[in-house]
Amino acid sequence: MQVPNVLRLIYRNIWVNTDPGSLLILIGLPGLYLVFFGFGFQSITSAGGGGNSYLAYLTPGIMGFQVVMAGTVGGSMLWADRRWGMLSQLLVGPFTRLQYLLGILFTSMLFGLGGAAVMLGVAYALLGSAPTQLVALGVIFGSITVGSILFGSLMLILAAVTKSNTAYNSIQILLLFVVNFASTVFYPLSSRLPVVLKVLFEVNPLTYVADAVRGAYSGSLTANDGLQILVLLVETVVALAVATRTYMRSDVSYE
Amino acid sequence: MVTPGEHRLFAGGPVTPVVNAEKLTSSSSSSPGPVVVAENLRHSYDRRRFALDGVSFTVQRGEVFGLLGRNGAGKSTLIKAMTTLIQPTSGTLRVLGMDPARDGQRIRRRIGVVQQAESFDFTTVQGNLDVYGMLWGIPKAESRQRREQLLAKFDLGEIRKRRAFDISGGQKRRVQVAREFMHDMDVLFLDEPTVGLDVIMRRTLLDSVREEVRRGLTVVFTTHNLEEADYLCDRVAVIDEGRILVLDTVENLKQFYGGKKTIDLTVGNGDAPRFFAALTERLGSRVTVTVNGAAAVVLTDDPKEALSKIAELSQTLGVQLEWLNVRKNTLEDVFLRSVTRGGETLAGS
Repeated sequence: MQVPNVLRLIYRNIWVNTDPGSLLILIGLPGLYLVFFGFGFQSITSAGGGGNSYLAYLTPGIMGFQVVMAGTVGGSMLWADRRWGMLSQLLVGPFTRLQYLLGILFTSMLFGLGGAAVMLGVAYALLGSAPTQLVALGVIFGSITVGSILFGSLMLILAAVTKSNTAYNSIQILLLFVVNFASTVFYPLSSRLPVVLKVLFEVNPLTYVADAVRGAYSGSLTANDGLQILVLLVETVVALAVATRTYMRSDVSYE
Repeated sequence: MVTPGEHRLFAGGPVTPVVNAEKLTSSSSSSPGPVVVAENLRHSYDRRRFALDGVSFTVQRGEVFGLLGRNGAGKSTLIKAMTTLIQPTSGTLRVLGMDPARDGQRIRRRIGVVQQAESFDFTTVQGNLDVYGMLWGIPKAESRQRREQLLAKFDLGEIRKRRAFDISGGQKRRVQVAREFMHDMDVLFLDEPTVGLDVIMRRTLLDSVREEVRRGLTVVFTTHNLEEADYLCDRVAVIDEGRILVLDTVENLKQFYGGKKTIDLTVGNGDAPRFFAALTERLGSRVTVTVNGAAAVVLTDDPKEALSKIAELSQTLGVQLEWLNVRKNTLEDVFLRSVTRGGETLAGS
């Protein structure tokens, strides 16, 4: 039986991108955020009588944060394939451009889901509890799946349009900073925020992922979370369409 | 069983054949016609300058077709078009009887491509071959067997565990070529495959290609190296500024210049431009002088007369002759003459 091309490409992406160093960074970085930010800020909030609340707040946020990590994996894979000549080599092989794109996006998604599962284990170790209901787990992993494809698409657009490694890395660092810290991953959206920051929080897809995961994690999903997931889905479809169009028209070679 | 028209690598070996289900139903796979047909092909990257400017040729099944040209002549663009990586701006192109614009994936399943640029997966030498075998759907046992044969053939056994990025340029090139032989194909496109290889490996590669050609593989081969083209190609096309200047069998091309002789000439002091300018004038329009710094190649029907004029001029101008050699024509002379004269002579012949 012939294995579908997309599955072969996913297997190849995992094969050539899962060296121990990369894995450690992918899974370890969110874990470090959880430990340093979690315990650091909790020590402040608990001094004011906050108890375990910040760690409990941050944990699902960091699970949602995995979608950003997954996105960077996708962008990096495309960039590396361009840089090392494998993109054009694969495209003169038995694959279509679309299959290659889906291979990258699905690999990103797997990294996102794997990272979230690890974070779930870490959260259980830190908090002594984790959601077990199927609906909650479905919302958590569903949001992370959609979010991974969304951020994977955004990073693919960036990787497709940038012409140098320096430009790609610089823009990626800037984007990640804004996306991470203008979201509800680390702190809640406050009405006292400056208007510009507030708008950034509200349009940031990572906020939607973090809120959905947090709602499912704490068993407090609301209609607003459902609406946010719907918006997330629409944004993902748009981002995927733009990524496909950009990548299909992009130069496959590295200059 | 191997389907008609498909070239099985390692034929005669114990390797289990790969049968591509699509090929079994593909009518074009057994078609006896040319493998590549290009008619008036044009391509522009920027809508200002044409990288291909009206290229027409055919490649017959089982032949080695050489594309010779300088850097930027259009060779790689032509390879990119034939391997479906770019779509020509205009003209007609058929590869294995199919249209690259519509049947790209079907074409790509039946071709092998060694691109000019380096290409590697971020893994070991052996890993690169294994990944490629997996990507092409080669069964594991067969893939392992092929990998071992290729590692031995291309002398890569000792570096098999090293990362492809940590090896030398020549070794990288060998990995790239070996990797392409992991799968079966009907046509192999080699875009300057010997760049960076030492003499022995170059010969090993060319002999490997020759061996596969004897078993029915069709090869389209681009190179700067005219000795390689002479050694490997049945027919060559000299391409310059996106146009084919001459196209014929290597033998015919050399025979065309058969009545002529080549004089290689190097002068010893700083007067080379003045000397060669005077020499060109004195030898007249029937003799071609191609100058490269202090060296020149003179193509003439009458080497005796040319030699006497060279000696006379050397005395008159006080220019010392460092090297003087009269020889038969090679493909290099054909090439030089084609690109400097725009192929007028042959086109008109």
